[in-house]
Amino acid sequence: MTSDTHTPVARPSRARQVWRSMRRSRAAMVSLSILLLHLLLAVFAPWLTPWDWTAQDGYNMLQGPSAQHWFGTDNMGRDIFSRTLMGGREALKVTLLGTLLAMGWGSLTGISLGLLGGRLDEWLMRAVDALLAIPWLLFLLLIISTVGQQSWVLILTLGFFYGIAVIRVARGATLDFVARDFVMAARVRGESNWTIVRQELLPNVLDTLLVEGGMRWAWMLLAFSSLSFLGFGVVPPTPDWGLMIADTRGIISIAPWATLFPALALSSLIISINLSADAFGKAMGLDRAKAPV
Amino acid sequence: MKPLLSAVVVSAALLGSVTATESALAAGTFRLAHDVGYAGAESLDPISPSRFFYANQFLYSRLVRQDMEGQPSPELALNWRASADATQWTFELRKGVKFHDGSDLTAEDVKYSLERIKDPKIDSPVAAVLGVIDSVTVLNSHKLRINLTSAHADLPLLLMDYRVRIIPQDSGDTIATTGVGSGPFMLDELDPEGTTVLKAFDQYWEGKPASDTVEVIGIADAQARVQALLAGQLDFEDSVLGQQMALFADKSRFQTNSIATGEWRALVFRTDTAPYNDVRVRKALRMLVDREQMMTLVSGKGGGTVACDTPVWSGDQYRTQIECPQDIPAAKALLKEAGYGDGLEVDIYAADNEPEWIRMIEVYQQQAARAGVKVNLKIAASDGYWSDVWMKEPVVATRWSQRPADQVLNEAFRSGASWNETFFSNAGFDGLLDQARQELDYDKRKALYGKLQQALWQQGGALVPYHLNQNRVLGANVSGVDPVENFSIRWNKVAVVD
Repeated sequence: MTSDTHTPVARPSRARQVWRSMRRSRAAMVSLSILLLHLLLAVFAPWLTPWDWTAQDGYNMLQGPSAQHWFGTDNMGRDIFSRTLMGGREALKVTLLGTLLAMGWGSLTGISLGLLGGRLDEWLMRAVDALLAIPWLLFLLLIISTVGQQSWVLILTLGFFYGIAVIRVARGATLDFVARDFVMAARVRGESNWTIVRQELLPNVLDTLLVEGGMRWAWMLLAFSSLSFLGFGVVPPTPDWGLMIADTRGIISIAPWATLFPALALSSLIISINLSADAFGKAMGLDRAKAPV
Repeated sequence: MKPLLSAVVVSAALLGSVTATESALAAGTFRLAHDVGYAGAESLDPISPSRFFYANQFLYSRLVRQDMEGQPSPELALNWRASADATQWTFELRKGVKFHDGSDLTAEDVKYSLERIKDPKIDSPVAAVLGVIDSVTVLNSHKLRINLTSAHADLPLLLMDYRVRIIPQDSGDTIATTGVGSGPFMLDELDPEGTTVLKAFDQYWEGKPASDTVEVIGIADAQARVQALLAGQLDFEDSVLGQQMALFADKSRFQTNSIATGEWRALVFRTDTAPYNDVRVRKALRMLVDREQMMTLVSGKGGGTVACDTPVWSGDQYRTQIECPQDIPAAKALLKEAGYGDGLEVDIYAADNEPEWIRMIEVYQQQAARAGVKVNLKIAASDGYWSDVWMKEPVVATRWSQRPADQVLNEAFRSGASWNETFFSNAGFDGLLDQARQELDYDKRKALYGKLQQALWQQGGALVPYHLNQNRVLGANVSGVDPVENFSIRWNKVAVVD
């Protein structure tokens, strides 16, 4: 019997470690599955809906769930199942792009400020504080009511506003690393600030940023649905969960199904994103309670 | 002697019980909401373009008001008669009427109130209706003669207008904020965006009102008003959808009624703006509508009476019968002829002020799509809708309350009228309006009003799909609101028992 105690054992990659850790969490697996299901349904909804989601039927208004209409019909006789399937597409499109935008500009600004420090950092962070003090809903409503409700306006507005909070997180995470040896060494080597941000700092704060991105996405979904609920998001007849809830809230005691199903869809998506981000953070070894906010 | 004594005692007891009942009724605050449609700029000047609709109905009196059947009946005027050629009308005024500032109503006040309607500085929408008044001659302190520029057989109908309120002489500069009238309630606090408080006017000519206080609360969103009603924060709401009426089935908390009215919600196209300045385009945009289906989907089955773009309602003596079935091929042909064979895109602006508007546009989107017309809904803010969007954007949603035929046709469609929201300008139409007013023979007059309605169907820019049944909900503890349209309600009799 021989044994080769000197054979090097390949260490699993960081991504694989994280995945293994997440697989051990039932909550993580359930939430990821729900999230994946939502994404798949959003992509394939147009081919899955049994009815035309805009077709109105004056003879079948406010019908309860049945074999023909699984989730019932709304106040204009439209099939709620089809509308619920379609209702997440616009929200997911706008908030995914909005989150990418927020994370992109917020992270780069935050990391750069953390690296540069000095007066610029001080002034800009006070400006960030001032912007964060503005009630977010008022801020969004002001811009959208002035510029319009087109998708690109919503993406830019949400992306800009949510990016402000990301600046603080990214800057806070960066400050842990700017005084480290490898950053000092890069400075001594004469690397440009942009190279230091890209090659030294970004890889180190990426874990924090990914978790932050997940959380921002969930909050942005909630914000987007709130805007639709208030009539400033998606415009009828495009199905949207927030809009569906707003349309039927006045008759919730007569036809609860018309509000219930879009509300369930919206809340399950937000919870699944939250739980997934939470599980991801734990798998990365991040303590979100101590994370800068 | 004994029977006499008993009679006195019983009478005193009965009188006491009646007084006690009245006292119980007198307690209470009547609360209703308005949509803050002028973003807080609501004016207590009854003829202002931004008049505070509900508050003004409580503050002021008219010469003539609707009876329970909607016909002219005396309010401040006791009686009236026309000259043989209907160019002069003599009115005798009620005596002992006081304004909220303690002054007495005289014929001078009426003269002032009626003559200021034509003041160009005010730019009152009523001017289009009562522009026919040339002057007012005071005959004595309580008698006056209205001199018209031309004959008008239905002048009392016009004087029933909810804005033709009588205010004290020379009060025009301050009336927008003081609200001094001779109505059953007087102003306590003006806050259109919050709560406007009105107090009972003890010297009201019909006696002390049954409620102590009226609160007119600003709630811009129609759904929020329904929720406020459900939560017991309002005692009265009249823009409730048919489907929502089931929410108020609890008889221990609410009373409901549904009344056929001349109210209408419409989509209006500016006839002075391309492409709606082409009569073929606007006819096509109205022909493609299935009105019965729209009414069912928006207001529920039997939610009103179909109209073919006439603002004259089915209960009006001058309403004419027009057929307007949905005709997609004809609409397509007209659009093609007008150069829109490949389709047309229409942006319609609306807000949440009325629960029907957005749903109406959603239905219109579906119906219009069949004729190749793409309808985009543009949602605007509710507060300020009337000042910032209406009559500014090319296509908007609108609402009108019930008006007599002559009034609504003049106010909404006469060239240059300040609420001519379609900017309809047609000399032939205006001429017909004048002819109809001057015609003293009823049948001929009716035929002329019929022609005017036909003209609107052929050339107009307003899509009036139906007249609404008004769904009204009241708290169970509210009394005195008769099941009649709003302008016939006697607000002084409305009581809320706490």
